[in-house]
Amino acid sequence: MARTQTARIALGFASLSISGTAWILLPWVISRVIDEIVAAGSAEPLRAWAVPLIATALASSWVFAVGYRCLFAAQTLTRVGTVRRLTDQLNTAGTGVRGRVSPGEMVNLSTEDPFKTGLFVFQLGFGWMGLVMLAVGTVVMWGLHPALGATAAGGSILIGFVAGPALSRLQHHQIAYRDRVADVTDMASDVVGGLRVLRGLGGERRFSERYRAASADLRDTGYRVAGADSWIQGLRISLPLALIAAVTWIGARLVLAGTITVGDLSAAFGMTALLAVHSGSLLALAQAYITARVSARRLTAFFATRSDIDLTGDRTGATGVLHDPETGLTIETGRLTAVVSAEGGPATAALERLARYEDSPATWGTAPLGEIDVDEVREGILLLGEDHLFAQTLGETLRAEPERALRALDTACAADVLSSLGSDLDAEVAAGGRNLSGGQRQRLRLARALAAEPEYLLAFEPTAAVDAHTESLIARRVAAAREGRTTAVVTSSPLWLARADRVAWLVDGKVRATGTHAELAGEPGFRRLTSRQEPR
Amino acid sequence: MRDHERLPTADRRTVLRSLGRLIAADRRTFGAALVLYLAAAAAGAALPVMLGRIIDGIGEGWTLSDVDRLGFLIIAFVVVQLVLTRYGRLLAYRFGERAAADLRERFTSHVLRLPLGQIERAGSGDLTTRTTGDVAAAANLLRETGPQTAVALLQIIVVYATAFAVNPGLGALLFVSTPVLFFAGRRYLRVATPVFLAERAAMGDTAETLTATTAGAATVDAYRMGPERGEEGRRTAAVHFKRLMGILRMQSWFFPSLDFAILFPVGVVITVGSLWFLEGGPVTIGQVATVSMLALRLDPYVFGGMMSLNAFQEGGAALARIEGVSMVGDDRSRADAPGPEGVIMDEVVFGYGDGPDVLHGLSLEPGRGKRLVVVGPSGAGKSTIARLIAGIDRPRAGAVTVDGAPSADLELAALRKKVVLVTQEHYVFTASLRDNLRLADSAADDEDLARALRMVGADWAEGLAEGLDTMIGGEHRELSITEAQQLALARVILADPEVVILDEATAGIDPGSAGNVEASLAAALHGRTVIAIAHQLQAAEAADRIAVVQEGRIAEAGTHDQLLAAGGAYADLWRAWKGVAA
Repeated sequence: MARTQTARIALGFASLSISGTAWILLPWVISRVIDEIVAAGSAEPLRAWAVPLIATALASSWVFAVGYRCLFAAQTLTRVGTVRRLTDQLNTAGTGVRGRVSPGEMVNLSTEDPFKTGLFVFQLGFGWMGLVMLAVGTVVMWGLHPALGATAAGGSILIGFVAGPALSRLQHHQIAYRDRVADVTDMASDVVGGLRVLRGLGGERRFSERYRAASADLRDTGYRVAGADSWIQGLRISLPLALIAAVTWIGARLVLAGTITVGDLSAAFGMTALLAVHSGSLLALAQAYITARVSARRLTAFFATRSDIDLTGDRTGATGVLHDPETGLTIETGRLTAVVSAEGGPATAALERLARYEDSPATWGTAPLGEIDVDEVREGILLLGEDHLFAQTLGETLRAEPERALRALDTACAADVLSSLGSDLDAEVAAGGRNLSGGQRQRLRLARALAAEPEYLLAFEPTAAVDAHTESLIARRVAAAREGRTTAVVTSSPLWLARADRVAWLVDGKVRATGTHAELAGEPGFRRLTSRQEPR
Repeated sequence: MRDHERLPTADRRTVLRSLGRLIAADRRTFGAALVLYLAAAAAGAALPVMLGRIIDGIGEGWTLSDVDRLGFLIIAFVVVQLVLTRYGRLLAYRFGERAAADLRERFTSHVLRLPLGQIERAGSGDLTTRTTGDVAAAANLLRETGPQTAVALLQIIVVYATAFAVNPGLGALLFVSTPVLFFAGRRYLRVATPVFLAERAAMGDTAETLTATTAGAATVDAYRMGPERGEEGRRTAAVHFKRLMGILRMQSWFFPSLDFAILFPVGVVITVGSLWFLEGGPVTIGQVATVSMLALRLDPYVFGGMMSLNAFQEGGAALARIEGVSMVGDDRSRADAPGPEGVIMDEVVFGYGDGPDVLHGLSLEPGRGKRLVVVGPSGAGKSTIARLIAGIDRPRAGAVTVDGAPSADLELAALRKKVVLVTQEHYVFTASLRDNLRLADSAADDEDLARALRMVGADWAEGLAEGLDTMIGGEHRELSITEAQQLALARVILADPEVVILDEATAGIDPGSAGNVEASLAAALHGRTVIAIAHQLQAAEAADRIAVVQEGRIAEAGTHDQLLAAGGAYADLWRAWKGVAA
């Protein structure tokens, strides 16, 4: 892969060198023809020159096309290669990307940034072509007269240097502009996202004003960018023209002195004009380098993202109870434990520690979880929360063969998910489960967790969006289906408590009491939390 | 779930009118930029003309001072060209920047007026794409591509005009390859748009796949989906690669055709021109040199023009989608509803889009100032009732009225004073806590805000270091589900409408505080009509009335005791709920 890429780039560079050489020589050949015609006083020389001239012009177009193809392909491969690396990096970083990369940033990382870094490869080829043309053009013009060669070469190089400082000034503004664009886009997305609230309660004016202010700010930043950028644009056109003017003037004086012919002058004019156009490719290269560097920096930062937990643990063969010292919570094996907590936060955090989404002194049997091989932990312990639903078929979502998948759907009382999708396991679930209702999404997540049949299932409020009848049914079916395996459910629903073998009651982030539901029901605080009979 | 009715797209006339309006709004800048560009192009084209003058002049016996005078003149033209280009570009940027700002601000204010029902039917993705991608593409058209295309076009015109001025016969020769340019250009424009759109779509798929993997990182990890997500990412990348190669295939015939179209006239001008000269025709060698060099000058502008024409098309398509949003009208016409009736649903039939009926002749009258709890299994139509009363959707038959006026007809300002719907989807804006609250009541002072927060048990708000100025949402302080829900409820208290519909509004609140929140909410909403929709039954017992919805109908209604005594669906539900907790 790398070798073919190298070969492709080499072929691209070679082709562009050839077509660049042919182009830069074209004005020179044309002027030779004109000179010979004038000298001979007949059209005879045209006959000899015409065919090779037109053939070369046509051939160079096709050679250029070959070079373009090679570099475009190389650019594309670089670009797609970056996306592949991003994909792999997402795997490597795992949950390390949580809270560090926003969806908006990911869109940029996977589209704009690979494009800009890829574009650099592309521009490098055209920069090279510009250099070849400069070299050949200088040599030929030096042959006409050293003053012409020196002016053309010196001028072309100077154009690159003069533009340098102006470009660095532009870069500064560009970054500020880009940040503003992102701000304004985010704000507009915010308005769309919260449209329901704005429509229902008001506040449109306030948010319109905020948006207008940000938009005006962007506009003003744009004005500032324009101040510098318009000079760049002007210089890009005018500096080459200045060079042509200088060569024309010097050439005209040489013609007058009889040192070169009129044909030589128009050759020098045409070659300098071409050099000038392509010295633009050197400028473009500089610009591409600047934007590529900004993008590359962002990509590098992302590629440096690592997992947010310590992955060095290598112990295997862990069994036994899960214990979280911070809360004192213990999940006994082979039983259904209900975790009741007035606040959701500490219970969630405890489950995250026990499922090893955080480094902590939590233990699995006798071993600290941090010392156990992460793959083994993931294989054995599954945490069910507000899990993501990807755009894939229902069958793929459930990650099990049809029989097991259907059984899991049945246990989670999610048969209506199947029927609403046309009773077809191959039907598509939209990204984020958008084509399902909130309750359906929750039961589908539960079904997926059940279908995985993990040894330990830790679930956070798995039935919060489900009606009482269904919840009661789910609690009964899950208890039966997971008979003999370890299950913990954070809930305060009496329907789950009735099915639980053990209940742990958390107060202020610490286990206050454990026991059966009946044992704990004597505690007034616990009753208040879980019983639905007492009027409030 | 529901059929998708995309938001409309504006036709060509509307798009042109909108462009015309943007230009008219700033026509002085636009006109000045145009004039400057034209003058700059003319100054640039003067160079080949000067070359011809020198060549012919030397033949006529010019002296050194003649040559130097022309040399100074050329340099002067270059400087003039630089200044003209710079200020032309500056004005074009300013015009584009201002027009882009105008466009996006107008778009956003249109978005804020869109009927919710229509957006939901179109899917919020459609609107989001228009808000982000299309607005950016249209802005790019105004700021970058537009001026670039204009420059290219003006340069080409100036080059042709100059060639004609130098020598009409030679100038005419430049048109020999116009047919090639025309047909290649036409074919390119025809095939290019779908090819580029396919590429953009493939890139979008890649971005969406990677974004989903990022958003679902914990899920990917839990189910060890890494390999398959990687596979999916690589698959979309491969499709994108194929689409990019499609672009390359197209350019492989287009670019050489353009090259040919530019180089061929140069050859023709030289051959025919020198023959004319030898035959004593009305041409000089200087003119032949001038026109052939002018022809070479076309190269970057023809290429640039063709390239930006494509971006032009894309920008136009984006503009059509942006303008489409302004075509969605608001069909609310009732300014107020003065009646004393409260909420009445009368024989309501409703279904989403072309789908089957969800409600089948449902009637419901909560009673003014009363508390009604609606219960029933998932999918029975409870949330649909909420949406109808809130005026988001319009019934197919029957009537949903608030104080005598159909809620879907009431203008927003009036409707909000009457009805507010709170759902489980609680949105937190990236803004200060104060701004997040005050959208419900712009007149509220800090004391009002603090009181509302206390009423919903949002004690966390008092602990914030920067108080009400604390930025929340987005990359700022993240609110938990409970906190976000409390925020949503605090907004309702501030809005203080006559009717509050709570659709599972306390579902995500920690069980420990749910009771308190409901109690304080009930106190805060005392005297208001409250319609609470619940999966759970805890709210039912204390309600004035309970309605049990099953399969789009009211199965039974009455007080808690009445329904228990009746021994129907509610009694069953209640037994399932509390029987086991005894």
